[in-house]
Amino acid sequence: MITLLENAKVYDPAHGIDGVKTDIYIRNGHIVAKPSKTIKIHKTIDLTDKVVMAGAIDMHSHIGGGKVNIARMMLPEYQETLKYADPEAHVCGPQCAHNATPSTTTTGMHYIEMGYTAAFEPAVLGINARQAHLEMGDTPMIDKGGYAMLGNDDYFLRLLANKADQKTINDYVAWTLNATQTIGIKVVNPGGINAFKFNQRRLDLDEYNKYYQVSPRQILQSLSRAVHDIGVAKPLHVHCNNLGVAGNFQTTLDTMGASDGIPMHLTHIQFHSYGAEGDKKFSSAAAEIAEAINNNKHITADVGQILFGQTVTVSGDSMMQHLNAKIANPKKSVMMDIECDGGCGVVPFKYRDENYVNAMQWAIGLEVFLSVEDPWRVFLTTDHPNGAPFTSYPHLIRLLMDKSFRDESFDKLNLDAQAMSNLKAINREYSLYEIAAMTRAGAAKLIGMNDQGHLGEGAAANITVYTEQADKEAMFAKPDYVFKDGELVVKYGEVVKVVWGKTHTAKPAYDKSVEKDLKDYFDKYHTTQLDNYKISDDEMAADGRNSVTSHT
Amino acid sequence: MHKSKNIDTSIATCPACGILCDDINVSDPSVNNCAKSISFFTQPITEISPTIAGKAVSLDEAVAKAASILKSAQAPIFAGLSTDLAGFRAAFNSAQQVKAPMMHMNSESTWRNTKVLQSKGWQTTTLMEVKNRADVILCIGTDVVSHNPRFFERNVWNKEALFTDPQARDIIYLGGENLDTSHGVSPKGKEPTVLPCATEALPEITAALRTLIQGKVLNATTIAGIAVKALQTIVEQLKQASYAVLIWVAKDFNFAHAELTIENITESVVTLNADSRAMGLALGGSDGDTTVNYAHTWLSALAPKDHDVSQHDAIVWINSFSPDKPLPTADAPMIAIGNSQMQFAMPPAVFIPVATPALDCAGTLFRVDSSIVLPLKQTRKSTLPTLSAVMNKMDALLT
Repeated sequence: MITLLENAKVYDPAHGIDGVKTDIYIRNGHIVAKPSKTIKIHKTIDLTDKVVMAGAIDMHSHIGGGKVNIARMMLPEYQETLKYADPEAHVCGPQCAHNATPSTTTTGMHYIEMGYTAAFEPAVLGINARQAHLEMGDTPMIDKGGYAMLGNDDYFLRLLANKADQKTINDYVAWTLNATQTIGIKVVNPGGINAFKFNQRRLDLDEYNKYYQVSPRQILQSLSRAVHDIGVAKPLHVHCNNLGVAGNFQTTLDTMGASDGIPMHLTHIQFHSYGAEGDKKFSSAAAEIAEAINNNKHITADVGQILFGQTVTVSGDSMMQHLNAKIANPKKSVMMDIECDGGCGVVPFKYRDENYVNAMQWAIGLEVFLSVEDPWRVFLTTDHPNGAPFTSYPHLIRLLMDKSFRDESFDKLNLDAQAMSNLKAINREYSLYEIAAMTRAGAAKLIGMNDQGHLGEGAAANITVYTEQADKEAMFAKPDYVFKDGELVVKYGEVVKVVWGKTHTAKPAYDKSVEKDLKDYFDKYHTTQLDNYKISDDEMAADGRNSVTSHT
Repeated sequence: MHKSKNIDTSIATCPACGILCDDINVSDPSVNNCAKSISFFTQPITEISPTIAGKAVSLDEAVAKAASILKSAQAPIFAGLSTDLAGFRAAFNSAQQVKAPMMHMNSESTWRNTKVLQSKGWQTTTLMEVKNRADVILCIGTDVVSHNPRFFERNVWNKEALFTDPQARDIIYLGGENLDTSHGVSPKGKEPTVLPCATEALPEITAALRTLIQGKVLNATTIAGIAVKALQTIVEQLKQASYAVLIWVAKDFNFAHAELTIENITESVVTLNADSRAMGLALGGSDGDTTVNYAHTWLSALAPKDHDVSQHDAIVWINSFSPDKPLPTADAPMIAIGNSQMQFAMPPAVFIPVATPALDCAGTLFRVDSSIVLPLKQTRKSTLPTLSAVMNKMDALLT
């Protein structure tokens, strides 16, 4: 059966197509070449003047696993706010808050309604991977995937401290990807979560974890090299040391140099772009950070934009979240040390536009977006729910595409922040083509999914159809149609068919003998069997809905 | 033991308590076992048929009757919920269909913890951190082993640990009555510190502990029969520890406003963590309670609450793991679904025996310390339907 989408105005940066009228043919869930005239077209949909892009991909969103579930459990009052129709701030709309802890069902529904067809959980703790996949398995409509966290686990730090050769590290990293059914490797506050368990309270890039006597820089070198050597496309996903600290931009700049030119992705970089200038000792270092990204072609970043309203911060960074717990709003928080593997901190937070620091954070994020020249190397995220719920994306897109709207918002901010920010001096407005690059083509390329994020032959038929509007928030909030693997699943912003996506993974080869030492370590120090750590393809598919796709 | 393709008795995970020991050799109970586990894995199987009012019927008839009871009810409830993840997910879908709330058989004690989480949050750890880091372990109002018999064997008196000498750990029991403190004696004979008090005095003793940890002075010389000096010694031990762990079991706090006692413990941990390292750990758990708590939360965005079953006009009582646990007393018609060994004082309106995860079918459970999720294996031959199969059948009739 062939479906034809006719006369679409296509934005497909993977093929350099910038608003060109194109016909798209769909067969068996994929985009195919124009069939010969003898082949029957079963259904034709006229998309004259409609803007058509591939399904969007959220490359960093906390949608599964322990942390977000703790947030749901701790914050029952957030469910009440779902009913609120008013925004919580002068700047921003109602969708910028009120959705910080959606159920798995609501998560999938809201994503697809906005034209997103995949989202990636960026902080899968190996020992907690089964929970992450169970939650994502209960998230309908979209494809999923995860990045496994390494670099604070005692097994890895022992290897590094004992000067294990790179091959041993590589095998462990590849084994981890296979065992946890993930597609990338992340490191959070390299070495810091572990150091916190030994009562260290901060860890700079060249400071030593006092037990292992290894530095974050060494961890970054070792892990970025491993990810590169084993042939995984997704560069090491790095949550830098010193998250949220005034003056932390220097750590971020130094981190860019830590991998000796091997690709690294610096995540939620807004939280790592702070100077310590001015009366309040808190300023924007977005210009320095953006310049460094522009000059360092091996670096990519997502922003982690904040928007105003009530949300909750969920992070593996127990060291820094323990400090942030003092400013929790409402005043409660959860910290965990987890199974010699990592930790977590869940701290509710309300970003207020009258607040100097929050207003600066908002401006810093936008400055980074607008100052990084290459939309293939910067990604649209709010680090859901840390900066804001993902439902705020249409609003964020408007801020990027519409300078007058952005300036009007800026004029409502804390006055001291206005005085300290250069945002109004930036005239750039993102084009639809650039938005498509950062939310589709670039994200798919970064993660290494050849069949996603574009509309060329062979791509999965994940397609979003918009009516072009001057108000870009309205346009991106409610696509006319969304196709998931060729099926029409959303019409005019409403789900018309429930489908279940798949899980994207990478399964690099490794030397099976790596399990010998791992088994010995598990038998001596773990509380579970090695075999129970590993998740098989069959287990992933056991509910009859999920399936695993490997991109290796 | 029957052998077939899916049956694996070599090394299995035991669902009999919350710590889910995954080193059980079902064929050889002489090693790696405890009384709860042996009792679980050696329970008999009766391939009995479903019943309506005590009379044998086919599965389809029983499911049809159950569906008709649910459809005519104004306010049904799904309770018990002693099952694994797949069973709970299926039950959740059915409960959604008839807009029924859900309540686990342990909800009263689970809710004590949830209240603290929702009021203040907490700072907690997991078993592997205890095993490898803890040098001071404070059990408050509990001996742990009444709930988790192998806790000390597997996580405290282990041969090796990454960062501490297991034999040198300080074990302290503070408060509680009739505790079995024998497991707190190290294999080399190091005795634990034992400071018992009446269970009712736990609010007072934990408040005193919290106060002293905060550096405040108490004028009393004894609290609930325990010398303040002895409490002060514990406080110093906790502060000097490389990694102190404060353990409680909500089920042992069977008194009004137990959440305030738990909060005394969790806020003590918060204060300790300002300068040194300490973590809390809620143990106990059974019947898939942690699994139900977590899965309910991600499926609905809300933690399950405690309910009064007597306020409902139809009760679905699910109990796969613990046939000896009684059904609630209620006038409303009862649809009992669960272990084939379930006993009834009065025959329920409907009874549907189903497969028990870890015996008759595979499954998945969360460990009591959260984060760790383990697969269960099928360890014996059975023709009983799974809970999900029964729920799916019922769903078709509820729409």
